[in-house]
Amino acid sequence: MSQVAPPAVPTAGAGALSLPVSPTTALQWLRDMHLIREFEVRCMQSYQEKKIGGFCHVYIGQEAVAVGCVAAMRPEDPIVTAYRDHGHALARGMTSRACMAEMYGRVDGCAKGKGGSMHMFDRPNNLFGGHGIVGAQTPLGVGLAFATKYEDEVINGGKSRRVSLSFLGDGAVNQGSFYEAMNLSGLLDLPVIFIIENNGYSMGTAIQRGTTMSHDLCIKGRAHGLREATIDGMDVLSVYRDMKALVEWCRENSRPAIVDMKCYRFKGHSMSDPRKYRTREEEAHHESNDPIITLEHTLTHAGVLDEAKLAAMLKLVREEVREAIAFANASEVTPETELYKDVFVEPWGKYTGSSLPEFMGGATNACTFRATDGKEGLV
Amino acid sequence: MPIELTMPRLSDTMEAGTVVRWNVKEGDAVKSGAVVADIETDKATMEMPCFDDGRIAVILVESGKQVKVGTPIAVVALEGEDLASVKANARHAGAAVAGVSGAVAAPAVVPVAAVQSTVVASVQTETSHGMEEFGATTARMRVSPVARRMAEDAGIDVSKVVGTGPAGRVIKRDVELALAQAQSNRASSTVAPGASATIVTGSAMRVSTNAAPTSFAPLALTLRGRDVALSNMRQTIARRLVESKTTIPHYQVTMKFSMDALLAMRKSFNEKLAASGIKLSVNDFLVRACALAMAEHPYFNASFAGDSIRIHEQVNIGVAISLPQERGGGLVVGVITDADHKSLRQLSSDARTLAEKARTKGLSMQEMSDATFTISNLGMFGVEHFTAIINPPNSAILACGAAIEQPVVRKGVLCVGTEMQVTLSLDHRVIDGAMAAEYLRTLKEFIEEPETLVV
Amino acid sequence: MSAVMSNPLFREPLSIAGATREIEFRDAVREAMCEEMRRDKRVYLLGEEVAQYDGAYKVSKGMLAEFGAGRVVDTPISESGFSGMAIGSAMLGLRPIVEFMSWSFALVAADPILNNAPKMLYMSGGQFGCPIVFRGNDGAGGQLGSTHSWSVEGLFSNVPGVKIVIPSTPADAKGLMKTAIRDDDPVFFMESERLLSMKGHVPEAEYLIPFGHAAIRRAGKDCTLCSWGRPVHFCMEAAEILAKEGIDCEVIDLRTIRPLDLPTVIASVRKTSAAVVVDQSWSFASPGSELAAQIHRHCFDDLDNFVHRVHSDDVPTPYAVALEQEYLPNVRKICEAVRSATYRA
Repeated sequence: MSQVAPPAVPTAGAGALSLPVSPTTALQWLRDMHLIREFEVRCMQSYQEKKIGGFCHVYIGQEAVAVGCVAAMRPEDPIVTAYRDHGHALARGMTSRACMAEMYGRVDGCAKGKGGSMHMFDRPNNLFGGHGIVGAQTPLGVGLAFATKYEDEVINGGKSRRVSLSFLGDGAVNQGSFYEAMNLSGLLDLPVIFIIENNGYSMGTAIQRGTTMSHDLCIKGRAHGLREATIDGMDVLSVYRDMKALVEWCRENSRPAIVDMKCYRFKGHSMSDPRKYRTREEEAHHESNDPIITLEHTLTHAGVLDEAKLAAMLKLVREEVREAIAFANASEVTPETELYKDVFVEPWGKYTGSSLPEFMGGATNACTFRATDGKEGLV
Repeated sequence: MPIELTMPRLSDTMEAGTVVRWNVKEGDAVKSGAVVADIETDKATMEMPCFDDGRIAVILVESGKQVKVGTPIAVVALEGEDLASVKANARHAGAAVAGVSGAVAAPAVVPVAAVQSTVVASVQTETSHGMEEFGATTARMRVSPVARRMAEDAGIDVSKVVGTGPAGRVIKRDVELALAQAQSNRASSTVAPGASATIVTGSAMRVSTNAAPTSFAPLALTLRGRDVALSNMRQTIARRLVESKTTIPHYQVTMKFSMDALLAMRKSFNEKLAASGIKLSVNDFLVRACALAMAEHPYFNASFAGDSIRIHEQVNIGVAISLPQERGGGLVVGVITDADHKSLRQLSSDARTLAEKARTKGLSMQEMSDATFTISNLGMFGVEHFTAIINPPNSAILACGAAIEQPVVRKGVLCVGTEMQVTLSLDHRVIDGAMAAEYLRTLKEFIEEPETLVV
Repeated sequence: MSAVMSNPLFREPLSIAGATREIEFRDAVREAMCEEMRRDKRVYLLGEEVAQYDGAYKVSKGMLAEFGAGRVVDTPISESGFSGMAIGSAMLGLRPIVEFMSWSFALVAADPILNNAPKMLYMSGGQFGCPIVFRGNDGAGGQLGSTHSWSVEGLFSNVPGVKIVIPSTPADAKGLMKTAIRDDDPVFFMESERLLSMKGHVPEAEYLIPFGHAAIRRAGKDCTLCSWGRPVHFCMEAAEILAKEGIDCEVIDLRTIRPLDLPTVIASVRKTSAAVVVDQSWSFASPGSELAAQIHRHCFDDLDNFVHRVHSDDVPTPYAVALEQEYLPNVRKICEAVRSATYRA
């Protein structure tokens, strides 16, 4: 335990000197991170207003991870994540309306209000869920990689060309399923990346209290022959740059990788967390390393952002979230008839004889949330 | 929850028990293990222990009364329970019991095997009937759902149907039987005496043997032939005789009578009476003999009535009368009432009238009702020996063969004598073998010393 | 393991016209898998020892040779991992067949198979389903002791979103397996080690047996016997014995317990007024208790007695042969239950 290091606090502005992407893209990332931040803040508010029920885990502080990782992937690369999933959904392209309506349990939610905060699914954007059981999504991520590789190689007779991302928290590294997942990915040469969003706490348990060798979680993958990367998750440019390299390596070699993504969760584990397990000083220290501020600094230094531009961006973001809340509020409470839908594709075992499952092919079982503009998902 | 004490099953064959004596009275405190009552089973008088600590709230079955196994007989209030309210509740429930047990006169209503399935054996396979596992706590009438529905559909008052299921539950076959009886009773009031033999009796008797004569070997459909529709009388014969044969524990006792004296007397009487148009038959003497023998043997003039044996005051002798084919064939039993008070002449006249009427106009209900003993005679056909099926609710029937000349040994000398064989069929629930033998001995005395029939 | 010969008690001819041949249960399952894999490249098989070893019970014998390691995939002993992996691949539209060497081992995969597979379609609002078949040996195999003798349907049938198939004959196994593979929902397919060597007539021609269609194995009028999987054979034996006592049993083989063919059961019970449910799992909160409850509900006014149930005894599966025999729902227990249910006890 003596070697255990505190959560990493990377230097602000790392990677600021050279933008790895166009200013437009970088500004888009900033906007996405702000959107997530604003969305989560409003979720907290709505939760306290009892508009949102159940558990609610917000992503504030970790925005750079989702935004940077998604930016490093192609749209056809599948991702799967755990229960702190609003950020991934929004980063992947789910509308704030569909996401908020889901939080509100309304019919226009991404899963018609049947999934909830922890279970955000978005087929058009290749988001294979939000999963509530810690670590359970890691074998699923392996399965996504198995499927893409199988489709590309066995069915189409070509070369594997997609990479799957399987996000997990540092608490999940102590689940057996994670080790089984890593072992299988190594055995079967699957292009999957396990991204451990290492925010230092599994709920209220500091990582060194629950995990051996917690100073470097990549060690956990070493036994399975996974490629490793330790990445500063508080800096979106680092996340993008390092992930881009890793994703392309995995794509090229059809091999798995593990990432120790160092980050920090600014808020509590959930809405009911008094955060007695850590000091306010520690929190303040990390808040001074806000990934959004870091990016704003970088972009300002690079000359692509000024106060007016930022104000305009923030205004639009706030308006979008406000509108999303209004939309969610106005959306119909999911009707009782929905209660009995989607339990089975076909309860009595209809067999269409089609190779592709019905939910993959037809509009009937595809994403059914309503389109409100050209960008939104299937109708 | 107050504890209901039910009539315990204290022997393997016990179906009902009698409370011989209560050792406690209402309000008494009882301890687990205490003997609260003495119970007379079918085999012995046994002690009935209590299994709970408490106070006797109410005694539901007075001493001297017989009830079925499983019937609540008392209620124990546990500590902290209000004696009065427990008693009130129990009395309320008890009223329901009384209502049922009124209908369920027969003690033999719980199939033994159902009770035998023990708690241990039934945990996994559920061969018990659910109630005995947790104690028969409800005193309400038990009717299986399908039985209830069938009874309702048929307009049968289900409370009048005797249940043969566990704890007296009315089940499908009980309603089916009741239905069949109700239909037959409506359809043919032409036949048997005691056609009013109630549903209750029929069902109760059925249960005692647990016979279910419902399934027959399928007819060989490949055999050629023609089907003859059953007349109402034939239906009634079929039903009643199956019921009798399958529910009454029949047995037979046969004896030979020397007829020489009686035939001689009959010859002489008939010669004297020829002018008045009277002709006594052997059967008339038999009717007289059977009727007179009842004075000494009252159980031959009795009916099994479930929880008791009814000994009849009147002696009414039924005589089986076969009907000619032109009247549809079959047979009826004509009844000679008060046969023990009638002279041979009167008996003969009554018998002749009944037979003629039966074969021409048919008998009235009254003329077929309330036989207490029946005689069937096939002697006129030369039949030497046969056995008859008891005509419910009689306890016995006498089957008479022909008086036949044959070699006999009299006082060590071989000679020719005229002999007649008679065979009694008996209900063992009423009449034991030795009783039958004694009755036949009495008959034999009457027949072989026929002058006693006249005085 | 002694071979179970084809059961002569099954009189119902399969309603598939044409020629048949006698094959073992395991062959029937394999034929179904092979036919579907030839037909559809999205179908693949994975599990412990399915490829190089030819299957722990030889169900997948020869499949590696035909389809190659890409489609017949050996896994480590890692049920939670490979179940989850297969589910993930099904979410992307593959049609995995996952072999559990024993359904008892599926308990360590409870989270993926119960928390992911059956709920995916619902939680995602219809966006992601899970066209997957989990199959393997279920129930007491024969002195395998307590840990390896699970009848998991007792646990798993409680979960909405799964289909549970428990075939009793080779012909059913093949037809139902093909349906299972083509089904877009997760299917738990439960074989019995004790039936794998059983031979039966299987049609030459291709056929599928739909889910939720019970087979009446024996018509009768006095009592309805409902069962599925191996105990169906016990029911048939019991029915023969009971017939000699004058009790005419109707034996219904449910084939699938989710979906459950209630109409067939109800029609039968309305005719017989008596029902006995025979279920190899433990009695408490079991498929058998569910079926009994459904019969009570739908046939309340038709019943002459409560629905009797025959289960495995409420104890862990014993090892000793005599104890195991007594523990299982056996012919004696079934006969006793029928006699009691028909008041002939």
